[in-house]
Amino acid sequence: MHQTAPSIPIGNVLRADIRSFVVASRIPEPDVPTFGTFVRAPIQQGRAQLLGLVYDIRLQDDPFLRDLAASVVEGDPDYEEIIRDQREVRAVPVEISVVAVAYGDENGYHYGLPPQPPMILHRIHVCTPDEVRVLTSQPDFLRPLLENRDVPADELITRVLVRAAPLHGTPGSGAYQEYLLQAGRYLARRLGHEPLRLETILQQLQA
Amino acid sequence: MQGMLHLERLRTAIEALSQQARQHQQQAEAELTDVLRWLETAPSPAALRERTPPPDRPGEEVALPLQDLPLTSRLEALDAPAPSSVIIGVDGSQIAPDRHALALYYVIQVGALIFRYNGQAPTPVQEAELHFAEHELFDTEGLLITGQLGMRRTVAEMRLAVALAEKVRAEGVPTPILTLTDGPLLWPYSGRSDEEARALLPGYFAAFDRLRELGALPAGFVERPGGRGLIELLWQSRLDESGSPQRQGERHPEAVDDELLMAHFLAPGERSVWLTRPSQMNERHGRHGHPIWFCYVNLGEKGLPVIARLEVPRWAAERDDWALALHTTLLHQARLLNGNPYVLARAHELALVTHQDQAALESQLHRRLLERGLITRPSEKARQKRFF
Repeated sequence: MHQTAPSIPIGNVLRADIRSFVVASRIPEPDVPTFGTFVRAPIQQGRAQLLGLVYDIRLQDDPFLRDLAASVVEGDPDYEEIIRDQREVRAVPVEISVVAVAYGDENGYHYGLPPQPPMILHRIHVCTPDEVRVLTSQPDFLRPLLENRDVPADELITRVLVRAAPLHGTPGSGAYQEYLLQAGRYLARRLGHEPLRLETILQQLQA
Repeated sequence: MQGMLHLERLRTAIEALSQQARQHQQQAEAELTDVLRWLETAPSPAALRERTPPPDRPGEEVALPLQDLPLTSRLEALDAPAPSSVIIGVDGSQIAPDRHALALYYVIQVGALIFRYNGQAPTPVQEAELHFAEHELFDTEGLLITGQLGMRRTVAEMRLAVALAEKVRAEGVPTPILTLTDGPLLWPYSGRSDEEARALLPGYFAAFDRLRELGALPAGFVERPGGRGLIELLWQSRLDESGSPQRQGERHPEAVDDELLMAHFLAPGERSVWLTRPSQMNERHGRHGHPIWFCYVNLGEKGLPVIARLEVPRWAAERDDWALALHTTLLHQARLLNGNPYVLARAHELALVTHQDQAALESQLHRRLLERGLITRPSEKARQKRFF
């Protein structure tokens, strides 16, 4: 299950419960995860993994960058190396928020809330495409998102499905379309009492 | 009653401090006119060397010019560093040993940034060491080494400078490879302790030896330099052989210092001639082949001078092309951050150990000790301090 994958060092766990966790870190800009990225974090002393989705990334106040921004103009050849340092090398202070959608152990993936939040975190790992493909093979990973009012669930659902679909079939192929149809049917069953919300999500999937 | 600083009780002292600062500034400005005139009319460097007596006491050292450029020389840099230039900024940070913590240890973290002027992104470097052995924590008198921690950090910084200079040299970068550390290059401690004599100073000088072999130019950067060596030199030039002022009415300047003098003398971008301080520590440096010279440089803008002191070994300062490379590169590095070199700002950032870092380290230590069946906790004093 645990293939080599990009990892994000954790400076400080700001908050953690079984629904979500928020961590502070300093990482170079290219390594900052994007909205809707699947990540995993060890729980139960490494015996299991919490699987979650990045739903918020906040850049913390960076006085050093503010000082520099007052002097450096984008594209100035005199400061090419400094601009590259800030963009590619310098770790920026960020807060990353992750919502739990499943957990994994030696028996496989289990959709829903994990048994424990991450207690001590040194790193969280970005899930590999193979891991995402297996995790998203059933639409049940969407259920914790639908039930969570504390995250931008609709945008997250749309983003995750758009990114997961190509892992289940080449875009435009029958398998690709079938995957999105299956997800749409699942959402229709779950959001039957919220037709406007369902319509919004389905329209975004079609776009 | 909750502890706090009662500022209203300090109001009289605050007023006195501000009054004293104002008086000091007024006195310095009054003295400045004379001192600037003394500088403009100073004798030749050779005459200054000949007539300046050795200091009576440590701390009274007079700065001496060792080259033949007039003291009034203002040296300029090139427009930009060469594309082959490399400057390595190095800084260090530490966690001091604390008897009240859950375990006795100390940490030294050094950070560096290798900055190449070839369009590539710089290379960050971080190295941390956790020390916990008894012989590392206590000195020969059985005292905690808290006072020696800064010295060990200084040596660790120089060792990293050497390691990175070796790495850069292996890339075929032409000399000089510039290394820049934050603070004086002249060993800034007393030199009297057993550990300094036995281990630290030999390690420090060994780093200089290696940097010289590598074609590296180590420089120490001191912002807001204290010191009056140049002022004292100029005063000495006003005395006759009996030690009395040659001109009636001239008095020893008490308020103006080198920084203020240079702020009014050097235009933005200019540096002074090389000077040296004939101190006991510099003599010790000299016995190992690395006497330290220094100059002042204005890294500010018109109307906003920022004077820094640059310290380099004599064998580097004597090379005009190397001095020019250092001067030019430093100007470029300091332009963006109001006089603070970019590589040093980033090295500091990489070296920094925050309170959060320390808390995370202690949390992990605590966990590991518990796993081994050791129940430890900080002292009650330390625990209760955290309430505030």
